[in-house]
Amino acid sequence: MRTVDIEVTVNGEVYNKTVPVNQTLLRFLREDLFLNSVKEGCDEGECGACTVIVDGEPVNSCLVLAAELDGKSVLTAEGLAKDGRLHPLQEAFLEAGAVQCGYCTPGMLMSAVALLNTYPHPTRDQIRKEMEGNICRCTGYTRIADAILLAVDKMEGQDA
Amino acid sequence: MLGQFELYMPTDFTEACALKAKGARPVAGGTDVYVNRHGGKDRDPEIVDIKLLKELQGHSYTEGHGLDLGALTTHRDIETWDVIKKKYYAMFSGCSQVGSVQIRYRGTLGGNIMNGAPSADSIGPMLVHNAEVTVAGPNGERQIPLETFYTGFKKFDIQPDELLTRIRIPDVPENSGSAYYKYMRRGAMDLALMGVSVYLELDGDVMRNVRIALTTSAPTPVMSHSAEAVLEGQKISDEIIIKAAEAVASEGKPRSSWRSSAEFRVRLLHDITILVLHEAIERAGKSFEAKAESIPMRLYPGQDGLKPRPKEEV
Ligand SMILES: Cc1cc2nc3c(=O)[nH]c(=O)nc-3n(C[C@H](O)[C@H](O)[C@H](O)COP(=O)(O)OP(=O)(O)OC[C@H]3O[C@@H](n4cnc5c(N)ncnc54)[C@H](O)[C@@H]3O)c2cc1C
Ligand code: FES
Ligand code: FES
Repeated sequence: MRTVDIEVTVNGEVYNKTVPVNQTLLRFLREDLFLNSVKEGCDEGECGACTVIVDGEPVNSCLVLAAELDGKSVLTAEGLAKDGRLHPLQEAFLEAGAVQCGYCTPGMLMSAVALLNTYPHPTRDQIRKEMEGNICRCTGYTRIADAILLAVDKMEGQDA
Repeated sequence: MLGQFELYMPTDFTEACALKAKGARPVAGGTDVYVNRHGGKDRDPEIVDIKLLKELQGHSYTEGHGLDLGALTTHRDIETWDVIKKKYYAMFSGCSQVGSVQIRYRGTLGGNIMNGAPSADSIGPMLVHNAEVTVAGPNGERQIPLETFYTGFKKFDIQPDELLTRIRIPDVPENSGSAYYKYMRRGAMDLALMGVSVYLELDGDVMRNVRIALTTSAPTPVMSHSAEAVLEGQKISDEIIIKAAEAVASEGKPRSSWRSSAEFRVRLLHDITILVLHEAIERAGKSFEAKAESIPMRLYPGQDGLKPRPKEEV
């Protein structure tokens, strides 16, 4: 089985790794880097639980090969907290009750990060549209949208 | 699980063509290829990743010439590009409704064409906008209208040693309008149960250069030339629009599946045609800057705009 050497930045740290060509980014992050926030739901792009950000773009890590990552930069939920403090989105998810079983949460967070990069002040409609690729079995989504709006307020507060 | 395979990531175009010629499966965004592998439907022993080929990269718009889209252009590129909303609204509609944001960042136009699904959302819009594809191989390149590029279910006018490299779409005049309506059973993340695309130009209240394409209504995305003929050169009226809808409904050949019966789909074709025709006509009457404004849907003569579902307030 062929392998590929990659140099990839994950959550700000540079890794030099040799990966099998048929390894998905999802498996690489979980099994080689032990980043277990990255969840496998469907393994076919439907659920969004495996969402991570590659070079600023949210992707389903179950549909990306680790071999494609040479020279790229990946962000997972583990990379959100800074200096021992949760990211405003993480705080807001807890405060708004947007986490129940929590299985969808890391993927939701990463999609929310991407959403706020595109729309710093999203409407509820924009939230629904941009988060359409993340399924939640528990919350009914309303509190997730509430949490994102709360995070926007928190981030405003930080800027001031 | 993706199963075992050998992976090639060439930067040289002829090398990629040679790999494809000896059976390697091209992969662009992988949103079809890797899904099929995960499911075990596809076990090609070799994969050639074509994302590093510059011949397939880039996308631009030039006044007077229109769009030059590399096969690797993603649905998200189209969705977020302002010229698309102003001039090629049906394409905005189609590409912005593919899967999810994550899928749209990876899924490409080339992959949407070459996957050959009758439900592919970007194809009807590209057909009505007169897209032409370029396929290239070791013996040079050929330009083929997208309409004749499809030769059957998942069959194309392409040789084993050729790749789809670019898609060209002509510029449009300001008196043109286009629309695509995707009928889904869910609000998101669903395939088109049925779709209709329309492009037309308005000369006063006379419709010209009318093009109509149907999604999920035949083994490939298809044009409805009989409905185009009903409208071509005619004045806008409810009667003529209904006649065109009847022509579309009698031309479409949807099949029954677990998703819905053929009868329901024929009725859908009829009603969706009316909706998209109204939408394209409204858009044709607006300036480029205003074409992206929302247009109320109208189905029956004399009916006020169908109210879109109320938007939630923040
Ligand atoms: C969860 C999910 C939801 C989806 N929803 C939709 C939807 O709503 N609407 C829709 O239309 N599609 C949908 N799709 C299907 C898919 O995302 C699109 O068809 C997409 O455009 C495929 O592009 P790709 O680059 O990922 O193709 P790939 O998977 O890379 O390739 C698809 C096929 O095209 C061939 N190919 C790709 N590029 C070339 C080329 N340049 N030359 C020759 N052959 C080539 C490949 O060999 C393969 O056979 C969905 C997929 C998923 C996983
Ligand atoms: S595990 Fe990747 S989208 Fe479900
Ligand atoms: S919190 Fe359980 S799936 Fe979302």
